[in-house]
Amino acid sequence: MKKTTAPISLAGELDQQVAQQTAELAAANAELKKQLAERRLVEEKLQQEERELKRSEVRKAAIVDSALDCIVTIDHEGSITEFNPAAERTFGYRRDEVLGRPLANVIVPLSLREKHRQGFARYLATGEARVLGKRIEMTAVRADGSEFPVELAITRIPLEGPPSFTGYLRDITERKRAEHELRRSEAFLAEAQHLSRIGSFSWRVATDEITCSEQLYRIFQIDRDAQVTFELIGTRIHPEDLSVFQEHIERSRRDRSDVQLEFRLQMPDGAVKYVHVAAHFRGDHGRREYFGAVQDVTERRLSEEALSKARSDLARVARVTSLGVLTASIAHEVNQPLSGIVTNASTCLRMLATDPPNVDGARETARRTIRDGNRASEVITRLRALYGKKSPTAQSMDLNEAAREVIALSLSELQKNRVTLRPELAPDLPLVTGDRVQLQQVILNLLRNASDAMSTIEDRPRDLLIRTEPDDTDPNNHDRVRLSVSDVGIGFEPQATSKLFEAFYTTKNEGMGIGLSVSRSIIERHYGRLWATPNNGPGVTFSFSIPCNPEGLTSDATHASRIPSASDAA
Amino acid sequence: MELRQEGRAVERPLVSVVDDDESVRESLPDLLGELGFAARTFSSAEEFLTSDCIDQTGCLILDIAMPGMSGPELQRELKLRRHEIPIIFITASTDQAVRPQLIEQGATECLFKPFSDTALLRAINSAFHPK
Repeated sequence: MKKTTAPISLAGELDQQVAQQTAELAAANAELKKQLAERRLVEEKLQQEERELKRSEVRKAAIVDSALDCIVTIDHEGSITEFNPAAERTFGYRRDEVLGRPLANVIVPLSLREKHRQGFARYLATGEARVLGKRIEMTAVRADGSEFPVELAITRIPLEGPPSFTGYLRDITERKRAEHELRRSEAFLAEAQHLSRIGSFSWRVATDEITCSEQLYRIFQIDRDAQVTFELIGTRIHPEDLSVFQEHIERSRRDRSDVQLEFRLQMPDGAVKYVHVAAHFRGDHGRREYFGAVQDVTERRLSEEALSKARSDLARVARVTSLGVLTASIAHEVNQPLSGIVTNASTCLRMLATDPPNVDGARETARRTIRDGNRASEVITRLRALYGKKSPTAQSMDLNEAAREVIALSLSELQKNRVTLRPELAPDLPLVTGDRVQLQQVILNLLRNASDAMSTIEDRPRDLLIRTEPDDTDPNNHDRVRLSVSDVGIGFEPQATSKLFEAFYTTKNEGMGIGLSVSRSIIERHYGRLWATPNNGPGVTFSFSIPCNPEGLTSDATHASRIPSASDAA
Repeated sequence: MELRQEGRAVERPLVSVVDDDESVRESLPDLLGELGFAARTFSSAEEFLTSDCIDQTGCLILDIAMPGMSGPELQRELKLRRHEIPIIFITASTDQAVRPQLIEQGATECLFKPFSDTALLRAINSAFHPK
């Protein structure tokens, strides 16, 4: 400080000093204030950053806390540092129970812990991680000891310092169950397809892309790895059926009609298969596709053929058996005139051996022999016509006409037996489809039986009634006609009804009739029935009823169809 | 009924024939005549039963299968009526099994058509002179 000379200037110097110091203080104050303000700013900034940090932490915590997946973090020693609420729920631990504990001891099943520890150690040592950065499936264990499948993804947290990791886990029990069910159901489907020999396919029309099930490959004997194209399929189709198949494919390409097709395949080794294909068009979402199935019906076809063969074998055996019955029946009929021949010839010899010879008697026996020989011949002829190889034919015929012819033929014989014939033939009788000759045989048989039944009747006129009428007694079928022959003869006991139709019991005399058993089979072959009923008064009525147009028989002048004869089906 | 041939005083035994077959009915009487028997024919068992020949019939030649009453049924009926007439069955059937059955039931014989005259004679003799 500079000294001033005047005493008055001493006070002035002090003032100057004070003023100067005051100014310096004020400056320092202002500086302080400035620094304070700056510090406050920094502090505010810090606080703001703190707040933002907190907000961000809260947000992140909220994300982690609200995650459905389990999020667990572990440090470089493998101890749990975070355990989110989802993990708490999934594993059944509270966060504070597990913090700091080794992860392996908490969620890894006992049997897998060693492996986990080794893997972790290896990573820490070598940096090699098999499980980082990808999703893996493993088994985890809950607090209650129950194990369950989890999907796990582990990542390393990218911070400086010792490594820490985050694990994201998901309980995949349900997913596993659904996968298992799906696999099971697919296996069932494949098995079902295998058992039923059905293979399924889809055909995308625009691209001709064909997708096939396992069984389809098997059916077509195509390699699993081969791409199925129409060309490839074509090589498996039987050459004779190929053009039909191709036509169908082209048609399906154009329109959207369902496919129903049966054709043959021919395998590379020559084996033939029968297949049935059914497919349905689906055009949703603009994709034009056929979905279908192919069934191998070879076995069914073969067994049908075997069945049909067995049936015809059986029919042949039955025919042979009925032929046995038939030949016995023929023998029976022929034995009658044969007996006459032998007896007459024996008589003839004896008559010629007397002294003098009885020539007239012998002549008579010879005559009778000839007649018996003719009778035998007629029996054979008639029976051959009936049972011969030539199949009887069905024509549309008038039963009344046929009956009148038979009546005309037998009139003289009936009159000889003093039988009075009373025909009552319905005027508007519908035509029937049948074999005229056979039906006439039946009518003749019935007339003869009726006449015979009355051969001992003396106390009343031997009336023989033959009647035709439409038969509407069958509720299901009103197109039938009935013919009845009624006599007033000796009748028969009700118990004897079945006997009547037995082959031997009813064999006819004279070798011209054919017996009731044969009559019945003729009627049955016309899909009708023949039966006998005792009358209210004396005698019996025999009736047969046949449909006019039996199914299976079409009546056509040019295409006379077959009535099964005794020489084929039994 | 021929109990007497012309000029002969000998009474011939009566053989009745019951058969629905005409050939048989036509041929047997003459043969039976040559064999020394009188013969009557009937076309049914019923006709025989209602005739007046039952008592005189020394032997019955009987067909098995006939419409109406069969041969075996006639046999039963006659037994019921206490007519012990020996029966020779004749049949056009080829079933050999019926013969032993019928003989067991009391028939004298069962012949299969066509039968020889000697077989018939043998059977009739058995009928008239049973052992």
